[in-house]
Amino acid sequence: MPEQNGQSDPSTSSTDLEKLEAKLAAARARHAPEDDTKGKSDGTLLGMAWRLSTELLASVLVGFMLGYGADVLFGSEPWGMLVGLGLGIAAGFMSVFRTASAMDAENADVPLGDAMPLAPDEDE
Amino acid sequence: MAGPMEQFEIDSKVDLFEIAGQQISWTNSAFWMVVTVAAIIGFFLLTMRGKLIPGRMQSMGELSYQFIADMVRDTVGPEAMRFLPFVFALFFFILFANLIGMNPYAFTTTSHLAVTAALSFFTIFIVIIAGIWKNGFKWFGIFAPSGLPIAIMPLIILIEIVSFVARPVTLAVRLFANMVAGHVMLKLFAIFAAYLVTKGGVTALGAVLPVVGTIGIIALEFLVAALQAFVFAILTCIYLNDVYHVDH
Repeated sequence: MPEQNGQSDPSTSSTDLEKLEAKLAAARARHAPEDDTKGKSDGTLLGMAWRLSTELLASVLVGFMLGYGADVLFGSEPWGMLVGLGLGIAAGFMSVFRTASAMDAENADVPLGDAMPLAPDEDE
Repeated sequence: MAGPMEQFEIDSKVDLFEIAGQQISWTNSAFWMVVTVAAIIGFFLLTMRGKLIPGRMQSMGELSYQFIADMVRDTVGPEAMRFLPFVFALFFFILFANLIGMNPYAFTTTSHLAVTAALSFFTIFIVIIAGIWKNGFKWFGIFAPSGLPIAIMPLIILIEIVSFVARPVTLAVRLFANMVAGHVMLKLFAIFAAYLVTKGGVTALGAVLPVVGTIGIIALEFLVAALQAFVFAILTCIYLNDVYHVDH
């Protein structure tokens, strides 16, 4: 079907091409940015959630176990456990804060030390 | 009907020998680990054609190399490229083990804490040994952030040590928990569908819902399988940072 492609008729081809160009641009604008960000953020969001939650949990657990181990070694019954639990909770929160701020720095397109950036369009 | 946890049972096929009173056996888990490694070797034999214009298979191999190489270079730096083979092997073992575990009748080796803990503790010991090898005693400086008042230093050091010890635990537990949770959920939905069908009558029609749910979970599980391999690899890279950048 050469006529429908606009290849056989050079007089109309430029307008056809322009139309096609406009259509293509519109289609690209519709598809490209959406697909890119969505596919990416879905996966990494899930990963982020798992990372933060397991970091908190494991730190508390490890602190508790270390304290309990110290208790068994030195026979200082409840104190090692309590101190270990406190340290574990502190370590958990510290690593969660650290990871979260690292994630923030990765995601934000903000050049540090510059003036306030404009608000992004696709704010949620 | 098989319960949801039966899929994780280790059954020892052949007892091999004893080490210090521990029976070493050839198990279904060991068998599927060998299958995983064989699949990885097969995949890279297929993709290593070395043509100038890569075909489909070759570009798969090249892209996967590029992916891991970029990850190591971006998160640690070019000096860490000597750890590329390690991160590469880790990523592909976990990825293939997870994906093979998605097949019916296959056993998911990464659904056992023993396997994931072995991987994560190996990773952390590599970080410790390489760190001391490279920086000497100064490496222990990662536990003491600079610019802190002396008064709270001991507390911070203790907290830092706890959070360092927690790293291999998080790595191991995350992978293991993801795989177990996904497979249990899948099994529960499937059992529920079968149960509804055996009831017969109108309830049998209700089986459509858990079947749809199962399909959704399968899709999610494929995402999780790839994602957890990625997370394990990128966290390995982040922990390798401590080998090269001691003063933070």
